[in-house]
Amino acid sequence: MSFEPKIVGFLCNWCSYTGADLAGTSRIHYAPNVRIIRVMCTARIDPTFVLKALTDGADGVLICGCHPGDCHYSEGNYKMMRRYPLLKSILAEFGIEPARVRLEWVSASEGQRFADIVNDMTQRVRELGPSPVRTALVQDMAER
Amino acid sequence: MADKLQIALYWGAACGGCDVSVLDTNEFILDVAAVADIRLWPIAVDGKYKDLEAMEDGELDLAIFNGAVRNSENEHIAKLLRRKSKLMLAYGACAYMGGIPGLANLTTREKIFETAYLKNPSIEWGNGVVPQPESGINGKTIDLPRFYRRVYRLSSVVDVDYFLPGCPPQPDQVKGALLAVVKGELPPKGSVVGAFEHALCEDCPRTKNEKKIKQFYRPWQVACDPDTCLLEQGVLCAGVATRSGCGVRCPKSGIPCRGCYGPAAGVVDQGAKLASAIASIVDSKDPEEIEGILAGLPDFISFAYRYGVPASLLQRSYRQ
Amino acid sequence: MEEHKIGVYVCMCGTNIAKMVDCDDVVRTASEQPGVVCAKTYKYMCSNPGQEMIVADIKEQGLDRVVVAACSPRMHEPTFRKALQTAGINPYFLEMANIREQCSWVHDDRQVATEKARALTLGATRRVANHQPLERMSVEMCPDVLVIGGGVCGLTAALELADGGNRVHLVERASTLGGNVARVDLTAPYLDSARDLMTALVTRVEEHKKVDVLTRSQVSSLEGFVGNFVATVETIWGDSASVSQFKVGNVIVATGYKEFDASRVTHYGYGKLPNVITSFEFEKMLRAGRVQTKEGKLPQYVAIIHCVGSRSKEFHTYCSRVCCMTALKYAQEVKSAVPSCYVSDVYIDMHAFGKGHEDFYRRGSEAKTLFLMYGKNDHPVIRKAGPGDDCEMLIEVNEKLSGEVIEIPADLVILMVGMEAREDSEAVARLVNISRDKDGWFIESHPKLDPVATTTDGIYIAGACAAPKDIPDSVAQARAAAGRILARTIRGVIDIDAVFAEVTEDKCSGCRVCNELCPYSAITYDADKKKSSVISALCKACGACVAGCPSGAIAARHFTDAQIFAQIEGVLA
Repeated sequence: MSFEPKIVGFLCNWCSYTGADLAGTSRIHYAPNVRIIRVMCTARIDPTFVLKALTDGADGVLICGCHPGDCHYSEGNYKMMRRYPLLKSILAEFGIEPARVRLEWVSASEGQRFADIVNDMTQRVRELGPSPVRTALVQDMAER
Repeated sequence: MADKLQIALYWGAACGGCDVSVLDTNEFILDVAAVADIRLWPIAVDGKYKDLEAMEDGELDLAIFNGAVRNSENEHIAKLLRRKSKLMLAYGACAYMGGIPGLANLTTREKIFETAYLKNPSIEWGNGVVPQPESGINGKTIDLPRFYRRVYRLSSVVDVDYFLPGCPPQPDQVKGALLAVVKGELPPKGSVVGAFEHALCEDCPRTKNEKKIKQFYRPWQVACDPDTCLLEQGVLCAGVATRSGCGVRCPKSGIPCRGCYGPAAGVVDQGAKLASAIASIVDSKDPEEIEGILAGLPDFISFAYRYGVPASLLQRSYRQ
Repeated sequence: MEEHKIGVYVCMCGTNIAKMVDCDDVVRTASEQPGVVCAKTYKYMCSNPGQEMIVADIKEQGLDRVVVAACSPRMHEPTFRKALQTAGINPYFLEMANIREQCSWVHDDRQVATEKARALTLGATRRVANHQPLERMSVEMCPDVLVIGGGVCGLTAALELADGGNRVHLVERASTLGGNVARVDLTAPYLDSARDLMTALVTRVEEHKKVDVLTRSQVSSLEGFVGNFVATVETIWGDSASVSQFKVGNVIVATGYKEFDASRVTHYGYGKLPNVITSFEFEKMLRAGRVQTKEGKLPQYVAIIHCVGSRSKEFHTYCSRVCCMTALKYAQEVKSAVPSCYVSDVYIDMHAFGKGHEDFYRRGSEAKTLFLMYGKNDHPVIRKAGPGDDCEMLIEVNEKLSGEVIEIPADLVILMVGMEAREDSEAVARLVNISRDKDGWFIESHPKLDPVATTTDGIYIAGACAAPKDIPDSVAQARAAAGRILARTIRGVIDIDAVFAEVTEDKCSGCRVCNELCPYSAITYDADKKKSSVISALCKACGACVAGCPSGAIAARHFTDAQIFAQIEGVLA
């Protein structure tokens, strides 16, 4: 059985979550690997969530928010925009491959775009293989 | 002998500073010696492992373990102390969170050995030998503790009752914690003792204004106003995300907090919170400008997780 | 961990979900979870019988948390919340799992879709165990309103509000009401008298019992929050000054615009050539009933130049919206005042977007006006004519449509100066806590869907202060802002959404990282206590401060760390 990645998606209620719903009402099919968690705004996303998802077994984490300038809360996505580079640098130092954590802007009308992003990310994470986190921690335990 | 408290102090992967911090309580240590028998304390008293092994389970009232768990010896003694003691106290940043030795989790055992034993300008005779867990000499076998692939905090290998943070813990806090044990006034299991619940800023005398950063500076790049918050002046200070209790010694002396007391109560990952807070106060909405401002933070991970890599959610690097 | 009695309901949605998701399987997995005492499927959960089933189960089995795995919560979360309320438990004890829009409708493999539905349901189940009861709160709203600016927009808003029964405090900086429209003679495209329009408005306002007019006044401070503002106004006349203070529930900012300074455009010679005037200077002439040059002569040639200070890389890139129609109006007015006059209209594009505009344009071109088109950033040049010329000035135009350089005569040049943000707009913005865009115009809550509200609750913007606008649009916005406020004041209270952020005071270290993060100015800092706190009435629950707080001292109601962590664990289990 080939590896199928488990990806956690954090989507903001007003733009990206609605965009994902639109993909649904439009019956646009896409890869089933993303489990979506709704937040009101990407500003709510604490880097801790991303790390927790990776620790709890996610092979990838997708974050989707409104396009810059369109945030329902005016500037929430700018906060995400500022936190994201630091999060990425931390992940890089922890040896998590960059393609595993991704930030995309998806508007409420971009159902197709959401589907395309999910398909693309799923493919890339599939190619990377399972997240190194769980296996490494198990190996560490085994030598003690 | 049964009337006196039975205590043991031990160091894992440590620098010795925590043991010194206990001695820094000065005369108080004599008060401790008056009410307690120190059965094991490698730095200070003449006890041996066999003495520890000979004890009954639970014979000790309190085991104070400082330092991280780096190798099999650290783990072995930690487990032994756990069996022999009613209470286990993780003392200092290394035992509590992994500490400075925990930074080793950002590299690999192979790379560490390479630097320490193989490729190093100070190696005079390199016969390419790295420590072996087992080796033979003159027909006898010598074993060395197994150097683990990564560093662990104490609570990852044994059940810990209390945590006393700090690098090192401050003498007043140490006194308070030891007195609590002596008096039998123990907080709920799992508590962090010898520290407050809130972050450093509450106790820091510097004035705090709105935080909007256009540029970050290394401490040597800027002459800071002694009365204003360091972070506001663009210097990375971990105080915002660090538990208070140390007396704010570093910011009071003009240097930024390094986060050695760990996160504020309830925070799961100190580094993630620091990243979030620092990024949040960057004063820009332009992606390029944001990148430029954040570029002024070289080696951010060592700032964010200086003492807490093993305690973080990811615990260690997964680079192959 | 608290013990709960969780009910899990998996909707089949006819065949919409059941076709692709094995609902029985999802129910079976759910029922194995700790805390789940009841798990069932139903054809249409949102139907009356479906809801009644949930209500009955809650009452009979003592359920204290409910998961509904069905369509998107954006569809039916309110429906099921009501069901919980009917059953007598807190409506926030509900969590939905989206297994239709985000599962059954987008996947084509039943096994895989079912697995995903199980994961999403498990995420919801773990999350809901951490839900807390939440109540919506109401605070009293002061019905009085502050209107800043006494131009056509502010006056209209004041009347609308006052007629609706609210006391209005109208603060105007100048000594008289009327703003920029009071300087105008006739309005385009119907050539109504602006004077009559304004006189009527000003009189009604001044006589209205519910409107307090404060001229020569400025708002010096505005404290508080929506429903409960305190405004301080300074009035200065001559050497004396007085201060008044009053409570208001809402504020409308209608401070208008100022005209662009034509002397900045050196190639038009404004300030040097005596007969190059601005649109407002021409209005003065029209109001006096005299179209003539500085020397008192009737002009033989009049040129009107569009886009002075607008649509230019050098000055302002935006279009000032009103000038094209006003220019056409001037062409007609010149022709009617001096029928023998030759009028040239020198423009970049003719913006005739509004009601009656195209007809007005056509009438203007039929009135024998010469239209010359020039390229943006390829502006005409005005110079003094020579002694042999029969005109005062000559204008060289790189005419686009013909491709030729044309020189036209002019005795009088009217420059259509654009609109600019007033110099005090920065101060006003700070006063009421709203933002300005790169051109200095006030920013609305949403450019399409919410044009008169701002991100600061209780502060509305209307008219040209938000962007260049003509009278119809300014008046529409004035009435819109007034309408929004009337809708609120009718209720007398303002509802605070149950979902907001709150600071646990003990945990707050006073670091102030959160202070600048709120786009709604909902975070305040108490300098004595050295603690930050959230004004729940203003909080919109975006979560920026929650994620930014390095102590974890701020919790997002209904989106707490515990709830999200549990959901993460659940979807990955």
